[in-house]
Amino acid sequence: MPVSLTSLKEYFAPKDEAELLALLETYHGSALIVAGGSFVHGLDARGLLLGVEALIDIRNLGLKHVTLDADGLSIGAMVTFTELQQLEEVRNSAALGAVRDALKYPPLQIRNVATVGGNIAAACPYFDLPTAFMSLDAVVKVHGPDGQRDLDLQEMMVGLFQNALEPNELVASLFLPRLPARSASAFMKLETNANDLAIVNVAVRISLDTAGSCQEARVAIGGGVAETPVRAMAAERVLQGKKISEALVQQAGAAAQSDLRPMSDHRATGAYRSAMAKTLTERALRQALGRL
Amino acid sequence: MSKLVTFEINGQQHEIAVEPYETLLWVLRKQSHLKGTKRGCDSGGCGCCTVHVDGKAVYSCMTFANSLEGCKVTTIEGLSQGSELDPLQTAFVEEGAVQCGYCTCGIIMTAKELLASGQALDEEQIRHGIAGNLCRCTGYTKIVKAIKKAADSR
Repeated sequence: MPVSLTSLKEYFAPKDEAELLALLETYHGSALIVAGGSFVHGLDARGLLLGVEALIDIRNLGLKHVTLDADGLSIGAMVTFTELQQLEEVRNSAALGAVRDALKYPPLQIRNVATVGGNIAAACPYFDLPTAFMSLDAVVKVHGPDGQRDLDLQEMMVGLFQNALEPNELVASLFLPRLPARSASAFMKLETNANDLAIVNVAVRISLDTAGSCQEARVAIGGGVAETPVRAMAAERVLQGKKISEALVQQAGAAAQSDLRPMSDHRATGAYRSAMAKTLTERALRQALGRL
Repeated sequence: MSKLVTFEINGQQHEIAVEPYETLLWVLRKQSHLKGTKRGCDSGGCGCCTVHVDGKAVYSCMTFANSLEGCKVTTIEGLSQGSELDPLQTAFVEEGAVQCGYCTCGIIMTAKELLASGQALDEEQIRHGIAGNLCRCTGYTKIVKAIKKAADSR
């Protein structure tokens, strides 16, 4: 007998959004939307699918678009990591360097199925892309019976494996706003092996003004430093408005560390995570600066 | 409630009744008796259940059978042409890249996608490419050598 998920009674594959919304209404919280499906067993293993009676597979809904315009890049929820990796912007732009870096870590078998929407909706603090997206001010486009609403990632990820969706809503797409011209980002992850979740991961983004000073800085840290990935505001304040030097990079690393009270678990102690958050912040900053 | 799902396995059309929780791995081993695909961690961590769905390597232990309507599945049994082995299989035999053999089929299926692009592969790309597959016997040296051999002789 299969060992997991045997309490599931139904598997639906609605043909359009109206049918999906009707199913969500019917099941009212006892259905789980499945995108790529690569983390459903992971959620089950953590005891997070008790009471889930139906899986709703959204692969027939489309949600595969990628559009770039003057405002930014819109990515459909069902775009896989492999597809994201092949995008011209992701492969070449300095601004999206953090996304490119984050996609190097998951193995091929995960990249081929895992989706942008699923990765966000899972609200897993140990995932890589949400940290990268947070450094890029990503906006989550949520669809529901009343139309569309926008959430930034901090609003979307409200707790450990808890997202801000109502039971009758879905993640439809992700929007990455166009950044100032001189922008670069980078992402780094510390992991015990190539197929494990992050001990700590860090994404940084620097946007320079015409004078070469830091106009905008983002430092996002994930991987069990908190119940969700978080912005290291103290580190961002260190960088904001300054000419960035090696001394400032180290100050930002120390500031990032001072902001955190990481958890201890089987992957690492809180103290180790804290020390590594500092190191990775510094390294990611150097990486991003090298791309400017 | 079980549903009928129609998909191809190694070129043959199948119509199979599956439960909502049943995975491709389960269908392959228990219903189709294709035992080349192995059950290891059952949680997408070890790679020995790797097969192709529409030409892409996936973990069959995490692939819901219900999601396969209209898909083409290829397993290790689908690589050889009659008695003629796939060049990757031949390279694994020639290089002695097998010890206990439990990971072998999964690694070959992953490598098959790596080789599909036709691009040259160096050792680092091969090692990174098979990072989603664990081998607990060999230390990977001969596995990497076998994949390199197959890649170079394309």
